Amino acid sequence: MMSLTSANMNVVVKRQYLFKLKANIDAFSSLIGIQVIALLFSLGGMGMSGSSSSYFTLTVRSYSADVVLAFTMIWGLVTAITITTRPYRNFDFTFVTNRLTSNLSNVLFLVTASLLGGVTSILSGYLVRVAGYFFLGHTLYSSEMAVGELIIGIIAASLYILTASSIGYLFGTLAQVSKAFIIVIPALLIGFLFLDISFNPMPIQQEIYQFYFIESSFILFLIKILLTTAILFGTSSILFNRMGVRQ
Amino acid sequence: MKVIECTGLTKTYLRKPVLNNLTFSIEENTITGLIGRNGAGKTTLLKILAGFIQETSGKVRVFDDGPFNSLFVSANSIFVDDQMIFPPALQLQEILEVAGSFYPNWDMKLAKGLAKYFDFDPKNYHNRLSKGKTSTFNSIIGLAARCPLTILDEPTTGMDEAVRKDFYRALLKDYLAHPRTIMISSHHLNEIEDLLEDVLLIKDGKKHLHLPISELKEWAIGIKGPTEKVLELTNGEELIYENRIGAGTMYAVVKNNFATLEIEKAGLERTPVRASDLCVYLTNDSRGGIDDVFNQC
Amino acid sequence: MHYNREEAEVILNADGSKPIYVQISEWIETEIMNGHLESDQKVYSQYQLAEMYTINPATAAKGLNLLVDENILYKKRGLGMFVSQMAKEMIVNKRKSQTLKRLVQELVLEAHRLQISEAELMEMIKAEQSEVGNE
Repeated sequence: MMSLTSANMNVVVKRQYLFKLKANIDAFSSLIGIQVIALLFSLGGMGMSGSSSSYFTLTVRSYSADVVLAFTMIWGLVTAITITTRPYRNFDFTFVTNRLTSNLSNVLFLVTASLLGGVTSILSGYLVRVAGYFFLGHTLYSSEMAVGELIIGIIAASLYILTASSIGYLFGTLAQVSKAFIIVIPALLIGFLFLDISFNPMPIQQEIYQFYFIESSFILFLIKILLTTAILFGTSSILFNRMGVRQ
Repeated sequence: MKVIECTGLTKTYLRKPVLNNLTFSIEENTITGLIGRNGAGKTTLLKILAGFIQETSGKVRVFDDGPFNSLFVSANSIFVDDQMIFPPALQLQEILEVAGSFYPNWDMKLAKGLAKYFDFDPKNYHNRLSKGKTSTFNSIIGLAARCPLTILDEPTTGMDEAVRKDFYRALLKDYLAHPRTIMISSHHLNEIEDLLEDVLLIKDGKKHLHLPISELKEWAIGIKGPTEKVLELTNGEELIYENRIGAGTMYAVVKNNFATLEIEKAGLERTPVRASDLCVYLTNDSRGGIDDVFNQC
Repeated sequence: MHYNREEAEVILNADGSKPIYVQISEWIETEIMNGHLESDQKVYSQYQLAEMYTINPATAAKGLNLLVDENILYKKRGLGMFVSQMAKEMIVNKRKSQTLKRLVQELVLEAHRLQISEAELMEMIKAEQSEVGNE
């Protein structure tokens, strides 16, 4: 008789994760493409202030990786939605998996993608400045950045991208529950924001912005983001857990 | 040991039953043919066994575990059909490697040997394969995975006859060397009947017959002769199939409750009924088949 | 054991309507009759037969067991199945009593349908027999 294999969840998650890195190689090439486009946008400078007198004109351009990060967050969102679609789910179920290991390996994959996105976004900030210096002939006054700050910058950027992808993952999963969500969620969101901005003196979006983005304590920020993504991924996982596949 | 046990298994879609109170069990290391017409619920049943979709009610056990969402069942079974999809970024050889990483019994030598025999370019991509080639490649994965439960849903879709023959022989040879439980569904019972040990015939989501193929072949007989004599002999028996040929001749299929001598004494001809024909008769909604439509016109 | 697969297929396809296990047992009988299998010689296992004919081993086993039930083969525990001492005679007797009887039965019935007289039928049998004898 053929002996039965006892299924170890960690092993399966690891295999699924490696499988996904290989299978979604296209996602990483699109990341490069998107960041190049974002860099081109950035070259115009993010912020500009100028003063002029009759003798000279002074223009100060501040370059940053913000545009690149914003684009990368959109990339994270779209990548997350993509892997919740039916064909991508079915890739998992071609081989060994259950719904939990499929979700866990997806989260691991998105964490990896976010880290990669974070590193490249922050480093591209330097690239913008260097490009400005060489190709546009700007004088460069770079703010010195310590390695520690750099690392914190990368982690923060990665966490933003991860948040975006967890939102995308939930949206994608909801869309699998019912196609109606594809229209309902954006409609509700836009409608709500519109009403909120129109009638609310302190719009929710501003509160959200302050809650997540204006946080001086890194640890608190880290906890806030991790909790948020955990809730979003967890909800997606619960939603997917009763769904059929390959039907 | 029983590998599959279903009790009162029911699956409904939008209140319409697809599987209706199915009760059966499958013994270990048998090859069972799942036979039924289009829409009889074959694929739904196999997908429930693979844990892809969830039963509405009733009990399903695969290796003593509920298959839905079971990692254990997934690790010990494989479901092969022509809808099996793989990431478009992976070449065929990479797909084989990935498959090998998931299945502990995976035989890479067999996989590569079969891929070479069936003329696959290892650098090709799965979504560029033709219909028949897709089925062939998926079946190679199904064989080489050597899962204790191997589920093949219409595995030969689109394959030409030579490839089908080769595939069936490969399946049997690998089964002899590495016995496992195999469920295979097919429209072509006459092609697979030699491979099978048992047949599970379902009709409208219900179990119709579940018995060894050798018994199925003797389960019914055909009686041919003058109409009134055939009707006289088969009086009281259920006619599984009837066909009136010409003015006074009739061919009837009945359960095998008659002695040969009895039939011949009545001046009638007794013929064996091929298993594939019998399955068609049993799953027809009317006794006369397509002819009934024309007879009513 | 050597065998020719092409040959094997031809034998099995000769009568598709007969159950395969019956065909298997008849094939082994023929192998015994034409001396390919001697008394006390080991016969093919169910797995070998399955491989040879591309059939399910359970079907092959059923064919073998049919011959064990008729004492044409005997089982040695753990060793397999062997040809009985009297196998040839038993097959001859069986074919005489069963196959030949059946054929005669069919012959007589068909003659009856065609309204051929007994004398005429006997005449035909004799003519056929002298032809076979002359060959």
